[in-house]
This record gives sequence, structure tokens and C-alpha cells, in this order.
Amino acid sequence: MSAALVLRYLLRKSLGWLLMIVVATNLTYFIANFFLDPRANYLQLRPPRTPEQISRSLAQYNLSRDTPLLDRWWHWISGIVLHWNWGYSPVGESVNSQISFRIGVSAQLVMGSLILSTLIGISLAVYTAARQYRFADRFSQGVSIVTLNTPVVVASLAVVLLAIAFNQSVGSTVLFVAGAQSPTVSGFWPLLLDRVRHLILPTVSLTVISYAGTHLLQRSLLLDNINSDYVRLARAKGLTRQHAIRRHALRTSLIPVAITVAFAIPALFTGAVITETIFAWQGMGQYFIQTIGKNDIHGAVAVAAFGALMTAIGAILADIAVVALDPRVRVS
Amino acid sequence: MTTNLPPLQHTVSPVDSTPSHPISPAEERVARRGERLSRRRLYTRRFLRNRGAVAGLVILTLLVVFALAGPLFTSYSYTDVDFTSLTAAPSSQHWFGTNGVGNDTFAQTAHGLQRSLIIGVVVSLLTTLLAAFVGAVAAYLGGTAEKAILGVVHFLLVVPSFLLLGLISQKAGGDWKVLILVLVAIGWTYGARVVYSLCTSLREREYVQAARFMGVGSLRIVLRHLVPNIGSLLIVSFTLGVVTTVQMETALSFIGFGVKQPDVSLGSLLGDGASTITSAPWLFYFPATMLTLLTVSMALIGDGLRDALDPMSHSAGRA
Amino acid sequence: MTGPQTQPQPGSLLSVRNLAVSFPSEAGRVDAVRGVDFDLFPGRTLAIVGESGSGKSVTAMAVMGLLPEYASVTGSITLNSRELLGLDDRQMSQIRGRNLGMIFQDPLSSLTPIFSVGQQIVEALEIHQNLDRDVAWKRAVELLDLVGIPKAAERARSFPHEFSGGMRQRVVIAIAMANDPQIIIADEPTTALDVTVQAQILDVLRLSQTETGAALIMITHDLGVVAGIADEVLVMYAGRPVERAPVDELFARPRMPYTIGLLGAVPRVDIAERRPLVPIRGNPPLLVDLPPGCPFQPRCPVSVPECGDREPDLAVVAGAAVDGHSAACIRAHEIRDGQIDGRPVYPVPLAPDVPAARVPRQQRPAVLELTGLSKTFPLLKGAILKRRVGSVYAVSDVDLDIRESETLGLVGESGCGKTSTLLEIMNLRPPQHGSIRIAGVDIGELRGRDAERQLRRKLQMVFQDPMGALDPRMTVFDILAEPLQAVGEADRTAIAARVDELMDLVGLNPEHSDRFPIAFSGGQRQRIAIARALATNPSLVVLDEPVSALDVSIQAGVINLLNELKVKLGLSYLFVAHDLSVVRHISDRVAVMYLGRIVEIGAVDQVFGAPQHPYTHALLSAIPVPDPVVERTRERIVLHGELPSPTDSAPGCRFASRCPLYLTLDVTQQTRCTSETPELTGRGDTDQRNACHFR
Repeated sequence: MSAALVLRYLLRKSLGWLLMIVVATNLTYFIANFFLDPRANYLQLRPPRTPEQISRSLAQYNLSRDTPLLDRWWHWISGIVLHWNWGYSPVGESVNSQISFRIGVSAQLVMGSLILSTLIGISLAVYTAARQYRFADRFSQGVSIVTLNTPVVVASLAVVLLAIAFNQSVGSTVLFVAGAQSPTVSGFWPLLLDRVRHLILPTVSLTVISYAGTHLLQRSLLLDNINSDYVRLARAKGLTRQHAIRRHALRTSLIPVAITVAFAIPALFTGAVITETIFAWQGMGQYFIQTIGKNDIHGAVAVAAFGALMTAIGAILADIAVVALDPRVRVS
Repeated sequence: MTTNLPPLQHTVSPVDSTPSHPISPAEERVARRGERLSRRRLYTRRFLRNRGAVAGLVILTLLVVFALAGPLFTSYSYTDVDFTSLTAAPSSQHWFGTNGVGNDTFAQTAHGLQRSLIIGVVVSLLTTLLAAFVGAVAAYLGGTAEKAILGVVHFLLVVPSFLLLGLISQKAGGDWKVLILVLVAIGWTYGARVVYSLCTSLREREYVQAARFMGVGSLRIVLRHLVPNIGSLLIVSFTLGVVTTVQMETALSFIGFGVKQPDVSLGSLLGDGASTITSAPWLFYFPATMLTLLTVSMALIGDGLRDALDPMSHSAGRA
Repeated sequence: MTGPQTQPQPGSLLSVRNLAVSFPSEAGRVDAVRGVDFDLFPGRTLAIVGESGSGKSVTAMAVMGLLPEYASVTGSITLNSRELLGLDDRQMSQIRGRNLGMIFQDPLSSLTPIFSVGQQIVEALEIHQNLDRDVAWKRAVELLDLVGIPKAAERARSFPHEFSGGMRQRVVIAIAMANDPQIIIADEPTTALDVTVQAQILDVLRLSQTETGAALIMITHDLGVVAGIADEVLVMYAGRPVERAPVDELFARPRMPYTIGLLGAVPRVDIAERRPLVPIRGNPPLLVDLPPGCPFQPRCPVSVPECGDREPDLAVVAGAAVDGHSAACIRAHEIRDGQIDGRPVYPVPLAPDVPAARVPRQQRPAVLELTGLSKTFPLLKGAILKRRVGSVYAVSDVDLDIRESETLGLVGESGCGKTSTLLEIMNLRPPQHGSIRIAGVDIGELRGRDAERQLRRKLQMVFQDPMGALDPRMTVFDILAEPLQAVGEADRTAIAARVDELMDLVGLNPEHSDRFPIAFSGGQRQRIAIARALATNPSLVVLDEPVSALDVSIQAGVINLLNELKVKLGLSYLFVAHDLSVVRHISDRVAVMYLGRIVEIGAVDQVFGAPQHPYTHALLSAIPVPDPVVERTRERIVLHGELPSPTDSAPGCRFASRCPLYLTLDVTQQTRCTSETPELTGRGDTDQRNACHFR
């Protein structure tokens, strides 16, 4: 299959996804309008506001219930299409500005742990699959089953507890348990070090719970392939078992793992909700909780659109991975 | 909202469970020798040989006993408030200590475990049944019905289910019954796809073809040949579905979108415990231990069941 | 020279002594190989023959050092006087590929899907030789060319999925011979292939042997293949060699009752005589906790009480005509020419009585008539984006009929359209083109479920894989009751009586009908499947490769049963098979298919005895005959190329691209072949017809 064909195929797929994102996002707009009432945000204010005052305040953000829903929707959608303006929260914060910095914050967290957990998962699988049923295999499989099934909350809080104990034993705060950075640090190197010290714990806790999925999947795929005829033929050629596994079994079984990892990207972003909450990171996950808690319709819809986009990106990446890794697809 | 779980981790792939070969060659030979090997006895034997699975079963039994009988052993109910001891460490009076309001943590943990168990079991049961029904129907009917059902499933992937979950359960004000409905409505799609793909391969089996060539009716084929042969998959995905649901429920309750005061679940208890993790760690330790024991034991049982029902899977060990 | 030898024989390349392999299992320790001895000499071919579970493949894997780690291997394997047992994986990997090359059974799964075939050969070269990349690639292309891959330089860059099964097996052979090994081990190298491709691959194997001068260990269950290629034969049973002899001696004067049984159980394609096959009763033993004594004793027709005392050694037969004939039987010296005490070792079963005054076939009613039957499938291209790029003409214009109590064999290689034809019949749906009449009813005019049900009653099917066709979660009773219930039988006692009757009919104990299929052996399962097909008293039974999944000794019993039932119940069979020997044995008439068309049809002895179409001719000559003398002298037509796929609807003969006759024609005649579709026409007064312009 030629490169042009692949490109055309991916383009067509992307258009399909785009259409689905548009439909899903608009659907969410109406659902959010049904479930979230921005007036609630003004009810606790002192001095109390009249309903008219509230409505007037909300009207400037296109959130007033006095405007018909379809009119609000039209205003909202044309804002996005014409100005790429995703609207405002009930108190007037711009959704665009919130999202733009939060994506970066979440990406730091998610990408780091994605890369780490994939690498750890695959290497562990290669190491243990070649030693099936020996101690190393049974032990690491047991550990993986436990970490895979440890609830996120428990795992993250356990990491916090360990870090606090560590900090206490060292006598100073080496690892920060809250926030993405300290407000007072300046200079390139100090800043970098500060970032890393904040990043370590959330990354570790995200990695701990997600490496095991890759490990167990890759292990079982490898075991399928280790006993396959072509690995036996590779050994019959004169490759040692280890070499045959690494050269022949691993390369082939990486394909489904790559697909799974690509599909896991959206889940990781949204799944970081708990981690961001516990470690007080101002990321997308935490924004999600905040928008629902504060009846921020526009923010919530933007989060939904972001989630759908991530799903689409994951699916397209998975397609690309298949085309890149599997000649059976490429050539036919 | 998902719980850091990429969707493929807790699933039974169709390839894994080879329904037409539920018995390994070695056992086949034993069976041929004339001993009639009852299927159930064989499965039980294989399950019991798996030490992890047996440990899981023991732990789960203890947890269930604790959830049911625990409240009988304490004079406090989970809503009672003991003003004489606020944020008290575990003692003979309050075995697991108390929280800032004076609730007895033992009573709350037992109740929370009960709540989490009910939600997990009910949701997983309903999800599995729904998924099996929709998946099997799509596979067997084929044609337009198949395309329509798959289209819906595909679309639901893009619809941000986590957001809907948050919105609806926020609105419902923490009623666990509503939470169950929402979790079922969102959770069935993946299972339906797995059942669907398994059934499409099953309907090509020679014995299904043979039945068709004999003139056996469609419904009868589904009931007699398809459903019994995905039974083991359903049992396993039910077990693992409990784990996924409990994780989801915990996460939702933790961030305040799930079970709410005055009701408690393990997730909401953890949410409370998190803020006092250094000052009153027992509020974290006890619910966290119960929760982890619950999910891990369920997962071990699920793995054990898969291996027992499907010896072709690799974790089954060499026979 | 009796008892196990301990020293390698002088001049031997590979010497195996007292090799034993066992595996742990749930049922206990499985002793898969229990004392194998043999010597292999340079340039010679040793065939190891046996049925499934006889330990022949395990022996080969033990020599290669490719057994799983949990296998326990004892004894001695010496190669060039170096002991191989006990070497670790790294040391063995120095020997594998350089001294020992191996060819596996299934070419479709033997090559790594993500590397090009060139890369895979280069890898084999680079492991053992210090070569430049370019040199290695050039050598790989040479090897591909040598094993008969056309346009080798170009094809070296292709991936395995772009090759057919036969081509992939050629690549595997190229890999095995890459480093000029001293020994090539071929484990059932042609079992997964069609006969004409099998003939090609056997030629390539012989070629690789002459190119490298290697000795060959040929592991197979096919006695025809053995007769054609081996110098010496080792017959294995229950994990042990039971007879060893030079090939001519073994086929002419077998001494071990098991070998005699095997030879008697194989139908032969070159013999017209219709005697019933001689099955070996019973099943091979479990290799767990074997009782003392000869393991073949329970199945042996000439066993005596002493056979149960101890397991006989493989010992030289007293009075053998040639050196080196040994057998593991205490009565071996009494057996001469398949006879003992003047009687045959295996009493020949009585042929079922054929009704004396048989009505000529034209006067018998037709149970199946196909007229102009055609079936096309859309041809889809692309793995991720599927679009229709053409049509597959799976069945084109097929005419045939089957009369009452007649068996029609439908033969051809995989992809020839025989399965599609069969499914068209079984679906009971109006065909795309042409018509299907079953027992006088035109399917196109079938109205309503009840009419369909009545027709289903008359038409039943037996599948190839007896395990796959029986629902593992139903008891045999339920399996046999299902077709009865499907046609509306509801009376429980009537069903129960019928099930007992059916079990009895196919030679199974009716009391066992409460068991699950898993409790039965392969042959018994196929008997259950046959019983199920007979439940509704059909007039036509479609048999789709009903014995090809069974071992030879079991297969004979099922074939005899089918013949018996046919006579007893007046059945008609549509017998679809790729094994022409079986077809010749069971059929009255035969139709040969090639790319969706029938190229020749007629009475079985006429078609097999005097084939007219060049394809039938080639097909028949490709089938190995279990007789080394015949094998050496037979004229063999090896077809070139492989079966193309039937995507071309242009007129002309579809066989022209591979036809040996076509090559001998002049230009005008060739034009006729490629532009005019040949009709099925007969000559003279027989009903043998063929679709060739020039025959």
C-alpha cells in the first residue's frame, strides 16, 4: 500500500472522528445545560442578589436562562467556529485560558508516566516471559496483579504517606506532595529541579497503577508467541532462546501492545483526576471536577470535547502504529 | 470518569477462552480412560489448585462476613455520633477509632464495605447481562441490526461517559441506587463488543453450522449452542467487572460525585480520611485496607476462574 | 546383535541411544519417547513413521534440543561423536542451523510475519557465518532461486503472507539448507500441503539433499511418502521403535504385526480391487503408567499370553532376507509375508453384500442434481480499507448428479471450489445461477419452513473435524436427539429408542450416550457424527473430508463403516476429499474439480485407470503409493506453479497456465485453449467425460 493511500485512509478516518467529536460535543452542551444551573453560584453571595441581577450577570457570559437555549447554543457554537472562543465560566473566567495552561500541566504528568509505565511494563514482560513459572515470573506477576487492582486513591495516598515518611527521615522536604511548582523559585536550574521534585510523586503513583496492565498484556502475548512455530524455527536456525524471543516474538507481539497503549492515552488524561486532586495539580482532571462543582457549563463541555479529541487521537495513533509495525497491513 | 484503567486491562479476549476446548489434552486422556469426569468437579479441582485464587476466595469470604456481621459486634451504627470522642485513635471502645464528627470508624467501614460490595455486584451483574444480550443479538442477527448496534457502541466511545457520570450522580445527590443505574448505562458497551466478537466467531463453528444444516431454529441455536459456550467468559467478566465497578465507585465517591453523607461507601470514607492522613491515619488505613483486599481478592478469583474454565490461556500453567 | 547397543556404529553421523523423553501432566508422567535407538549415516535418508502420539516428532525435537524445559530427556544423542544431551541452549544454538537444519509441518506459521523472507534467510546465514550484508543477501537470493522461487531477487523482499503455503515451505527449506548442514530433519513437511504441491516439495527436499550432501530424517505418517524417499525406515508405536528395516524389505516383508496392520489399512490409489480395508482394532495406549508387556498386545490379532510378560526389545529378526531388519515382537520370526501359521495376521473382513441384481444407474432415481451451478464471491482488497476489486468465481457452471445408493467422490486441491459447492447444496437457498434438485425437489421452488424441514430430513452432513462438529457442552444423547427434534420429533421415548439404535448402528455402546464428546477418541467421535447424520433416515449424506483428521489405523474402520452403512441403508454419498486413495476406495463415480469447474467426471475405475484430462493425470501421478518399487518406476508429472485463484471470468481453459499438454500444442491449438472454454464432453459409450479440447 502506497504512502498516499495510507495518508488518504488516515485523513478519511480523521474526518470521521471529527464528525463524531462535533456531534458528541454538541450533545454534551445540551446535557450540561440540563444538569448544571449556573445561578446556583450566585445564590450564596452576600448581599443576596435578585434573580434579575443574577440573570443579567449571567447574560454577559451567554449563560442566562432567560435567553432561549437554542439562541445560547447558536451564540456558543458561532463563538467557537468564528473565534475559537469556548466561552466563559459563570464568574467570567475564560475557558480558553484555563484549558491552555491545564493541558500542559496534565501532559507533563501523563506523558511521563505513560512512557515510564510502558517501558517498565514491556521490559518486565520480556524478562519474566522467558522465565515462565520461575520465581521471578510468579513474584512479579503477583505484584502486578496487586498494583493493577489497587484502587488509585489508595495507591496515591500510600505514595504520599511514604514520601512524608521519607521527608521526615531525611529531615527536609525533598519531595513535594502538593502542587506542580513552588511560587518563589527562579533561575533555570533551580526551576528545573523544583519541577522535578514536584513531578516525582504523582508520576510514581500514576506509573505504579498503570505499568501492570502493560506488563500482564505483553507477557501473555509473548507467551503466545514464544511457543509459536516461527520462534521455534528461529531457534532451529541457531538463535538462542533469549535472542529468538527478543528478535522474533517481541517484535510481533508489540503490535497489539502499541494499540492498547495508544488507546490508553485518553483514559490516562481523564484518569489523572484522582492523582491531580490528591497532589493538588491544576490539570485537566482537576478542572473537570471544578467545572461540575461550580456549574461551569462551558468549561464542562470543553472538557468533554477534549476527552473526545483524546479518544480520537488515541484511535488514530493506534492505526498509525499498526500500519508502521505490521507489513501484512502495509503491503496488501 | 475512569480510574486510570486503560479499558483493555480487565478483559477476557475472545482468543483467550477457546470454548470448544474446555479440557486440556492430558485431561482428555484421563476422561477417555473411562472415568467420567464431571465438568464441575474438573473446574473445581483446577480452581482449587490455584493458590492465589483460593486465597482470594478466603479473603472475599472474610470480607463478606465482616460486611454483614460486623455491624452486629458494635453498639454504634454508622450514623451514630459519639461526642465524647472526636478523632480518637483506635481503642477498646472504638476498635477502628472515630472521625472528626465522632462517627465510629468500625461501623462506618463495615457499612461502607457493604455498600461498595452491593454496588459492585449489582452493577457488574447487570452490565454483564446487558452486554451479553446486546452482543449476542448483534452477532446473531447480523445485517442492519449488527451495523446499528456497533454504530451506537462506537459512538459511545467518543461521548465523554466520565462527564455524564459526574453530571448525573452530582444531580442525584449521592443516592446509591441512581449511581448503580448510571454505572450500568455507561459500563455495558465494552463488554458488548467482546461478546459480539466472540459470538461472531462462534457462529462460524462447525457444530453451529451442523445445527443450522439440520434445520435447528435460530433462537434454539443461540440458546443451546451460543450462550452455553460463552458462559465461562461471562462468569469471568462478571468477576472482573466487580473490580472495575468498585474502583469506579470509589473514585467517584472520593471526589464527591458518588455516595454522599449520611450514606457512606469505602470511597467516601477515603475522601474523608485523605485530608487527615497525617493527623488521623486510621481513617485512611482501615477503609484503604478493606478496599484493596476487596479488589485484589476479586481479581485473583477472576484470574483463577479464567484459568479453571479455560486451560488454553497461558496463565493456566502447564498441564 | 541383540539388546540395546551402546556404541555408535562406525561411520555414523548421528547416533541416538536409549533416548527417553517424558513430560509431567495432570494425569501423571507421560512417557512420550521410551527408548529410541538409531544411527544415521551421511547422505542417507531415514524415515520415522508412526501415528499421532507415537513419539516421532518428540524424538526429532529432542535431537534439535528444542523440547520445552520441563521435559526430562535421558539417554544419549551423539553428533560427530559429540554428546548433545546436556549441552545448554547457547552450545546447542551453535549446532542448530549449522549442523542440523529443520523443516516444520506448517509452513503458514513457520515464518515470522513481520520480516521479509530475504531477511529471514540472511539471519540464518549471519548467525553462523561472518558475511557482509550484501554477500549474505546475494546468497539468500541464490538459495531462493535454488528452491524454485521464481524471480527470486524480487521476491526476497516480500513478506511471508504474500507467499502461498508451498512457496513458504520452499523458503523454510532454503533456511534449513542455508549453512550446508550435515543433517536435515523434516517433520511432516508436506502434510499441510496439496498433493501436487507435495510432489514439488518432495523434489525440492531431494534437491536440497543432493546440494548439501546432508543426511535426511523424514518424519511422517504417510507410508506413500516413505516409500518414495527413504533408504531406511523406523516404525514407531507408543513411544518406541517397533520395526526397523531398509525400505524395500519393510514394505515387502514386514515382521511386526503393527506394521503389517498399517500397510493393510491404507487404501491405494493404484489398485482397482475393492476389498474392505483392514482396520487395527482399538486405540493406541495412553503413555501414562504403561502396564508391562508389549504395548501393542491389546490390539494385536496374533498376541499370545507371553506378550504380556515384558516389552520385547527391538531385535534382529532371525532369518531375515537382508541385514539390519529388526522388529520388537516375540513372534516376528514366525511371520512371513503377512501370514502366521499359514493364515493372514489380520483376517480380512467380509465385504458387505451388494444386492446381486443391481439396477443400472440410469434407471435409479437421482437424489441430487446440479445444473449449471455457479457461485461468485466479491473479492475484497486491503486489510484496513476493504473495497471490492473483482469477483472470485468459486463455482462455475457445475453439472452433476448422484443416483440412489451411489457414491460420488468430489476431488480437487484446496481452493478448487469443492467446499463452496457443498455449502451451496447444504444452505438450501436458491443458487445465484443454475439449479439444485434434491430428491426431486428444486430448491428454488421450496416454499415455507415446513417444506424446508421435510427436505432437511433427506439431506445430512458429516464434517471433517469430529471435535469441532460436536458441541462440547452437550451429551452424545442430546447431540443425536438434536436432528430428530429439529424435524419435529417430540416423543421422548421414541427419541431414546432411536438414539440407542443409532449408537448400535455405528458400533458404539448405547450405554455411553450420556457421556460428553470429550470422553471419546477421534474415530469414535466421527462415528457419533455419522450417527447424527443418519438420525433422520436421509437419502443423501454429504461427507466433507470425513476421515482426513483420523490416523490411518482408525481411518480404515470409519471407511469400512461408511461402506457398510451405504449398502445396509441404501444411502447415497457426496464424498468430498483431497485424498484420492480414499476416494478411489469408497466412490462409485468421481468428479475432479479445478478452479471451480469440473474437468473430468466418470466411473471411478475409468477415471483413475485411464484419466483423460491432463489435470487428472497430473493429480493421480502426484499421489505417492506405499510401495517403494512402484514409486521408483512410476512416471511422475510434476505440475509447475501453484493453483491460481479463480478471479478470471474470461473464456478459455483455466488449467492452461499449468497444463503440460498445452506446452506440446501448436500455436493455433494453444489459442483455442486460451480463448474457448472447453465443455465437459465424453467420447464413446462410457459416461466418462472431460473438459479438454484435445483429449
